[in-house]
Amino acid sequence: MSGIPRRTVVFLAVVLVAWLGWEAFIRLSAPGRIDDALEQALHQDTPVNIAVTLPFAPEDFHIRLFQGYGVVSGVRGTTVLINRVQADDVWRIARNYWVRQITPQGGQGG
Amino acid sequence: MKRLAATGRGVLPFLALGVVWDLLTRMQVVPALFLPPPIDVLRTAWELGRDGSLWIDIGASLGRVLIGLVVSVPLAVALGVAVGLNRWLAPIVEPVVGFFNALSGIAWLPLAITWFGLGWTSVTFIMFNTIFFLVFFNTLVGVRTVPKIFENAVLTLGGGRRHVILQVLLPGALPSIVTGIRMSIGFGWRALIAAEMIATTTGLGFLIYNASNFHQTDAIVVGILAIGTLWLATDRLVLQPLERRTIERWGLVSTAP
Amino acid sequence: MARWQLATTWVVFLGGALAAWSLAAATLPVPAYVLPPPLAVLTSGTELITKGILPMYVGESLRRIVLAAGLAMLVGVPAGLLLGLSRRIADVMYPLLNFFQSVSGIAWLPLMLVWFGFGERTILAAVNYTVLFPVIFNAMLGVRSVPRIYVNALRTLGGSRWRIVRDVLLPGALPNIATGMRLGLAYGWRALIAAEMLVGANGLGFMIFNAQNFHLTARIMLGMTIIGLLWLLLDYFVLRPLEEATIARWGLVQR
Repeated sequence: MSGIPRRTVVFLAVVLVAWLGWEAFIRLSAPGRIDDALEQALHQDTPVNIAVTLPFAPEDFHIRLFQGYGVVSGVRGTTVLINRVQADDVWRIARNYWVRQITPQGGQGG
Repeated sequence: MKRLAATGRGVLPFLALGVVWDLLTRMQVVPALFLPPPIDVLRTAWELGRDGSLWIDIGASLGRVLIGLVVSVPLAVALGVAVGLNRWLAPIVEPVVGFFNALSGIAWLPLAITWFGLGWTSVTFIMFNTIFFLVFFNTLVGVRTVPKIFENAVLTLGGGRRHVILQVLLPGALPSIVTGIRMSIGFGWRALIAAEMIATTTGLGFLIYNASNFHQTDAIVVGILAIGTLWLATDRLVLQPLERRTIERWGLVSTAP
Repeated sequence: MARWQLATTWVVFLGGALAAWSLAAATLPVPAYVLPPPLAVLTSGTELITKGILPMYVGESLRRIVLAAGLAMLVGVPAGLLLGLSRRIADVMYPLLNFFQSVSGIAWLPLMLVWFGFGERTILAAVNYTVLFPVIFNAMLGVRSVPRIYVNALRTLGGSRWRIVRDVLLPGALPNIATGMRLGLAYGWRALIAAEMLVGANGLGFMIFNAQNFHLTARIMLGMTIIGLLWLLLDYFVLRPLEEATIARWGLVQR
């Protein structure tokens, strides 16, 4: 181990710390993006229909990403409607820092 | 005789590979659509050679490398020496050129297409870029690592600035310059193949990419073999002798490539 | 030149370059998409970050190159060492490996497209191929470059074959392995960008190529800057120090 240059060790340590910090931020902030009512529904382990609100109008990039998680059924302003999303995938969507809120469709999100 | 034996040994693995390839396709372990048998590849090569299109593509690719070299190398060496001489400019320019080096090659293609459109100019721009910055960087580093004592020796003996440049700095930096040229051809050649796929309708890169659109795997393999053979030939016949001669003659310190 | 002097000159130089660029963008009679001002590049950067696009694409590209580096270390280095153990095998393999390392993965890409289709597998295959062969080739050369006298010395002292590999051949080959990794990854990073342009649906290469379709030149310039900076970081903090350290510590003076 002593053969590895200091510059490299410090750099890799900084990268690691930054990554861990980022991961911690995501884990802590993700639950806050999921609406309480939706979180209850997620425990039932059946696919849900959700409305994802972003702070900006979604681009191609976001629609394509969401299509990997469920059926995108429409865009209302800055909100994207996605049908039949598994609970795990809802959590994956919530991990994105650029998502403002995820609500059940037809509920407060509509 | 010994040399002949060495060449024979070098050809042997290629022959072995050819036999394995032939067997794999003949016994249809690999479908012909995925990998055509060697005989099909030879036939396609013959056909492409006879109607001249293979030579046009080879000529176009080699021509672009040559143009890139002819335009960039003199410019890069001249600028590299000029900047290397300047104690103020050199430490500032070095990281800038280092950055452009890190960026060299295919990453410029979208911008090149925006500026020059699809075609010759974009590809030539990529080649110029890749070769220029690598040679510039290596010249600069080469000039800066020539020990000051040699420069002073010439000055003490009554030599002028011209003598210092022509008889100390250039020869001293030559191994580094040649290494730079060698690297630039390696990087440039790779960038060229990628750029030709996207931005032109001639050249070996276009040949193989276009063939893949029509699932003509035999033509793709011909193109790959041509690319590899051309590189090995350039390396053997041009680069290695050039490097050996300059490093043997002027090399102050020889480092691994 | 003192450190602070260099720093000031740098700031002045950079400021001057940015000012000249802004001025050119403002006065030259060309459409805005041909030469966007530096401020537009910065704006597109913040936009791409707020929208989550840039972090994801950077992550995808980095994931692919790190994967290729890992594979090269786990497979390429041992393979090269093994091939290098026997002089006869090394002599026979030399031209073959040299051929494969000089045909970049991008040249194989059309064939891989036929094999694997448009998608992730083709990108990974092209990049891994590009990184792997220089590493195998250089590891093999590295073993061969260890003078026989060291091997014989250890053998005379009764060292086992395993000891010879561990204590002589591997350390002796390390400088070449580090050089091979650096070269392989330099080629691999470019091959990755090219592969992402040609077949990608994400990654930095896709980002700049896709931006070109929409004349989002500021986005292209931003992407290029990131591509260059990421490589500089990787090279300056990891690849170059490792190469220098191995050469300084185990490098045998050659020629």
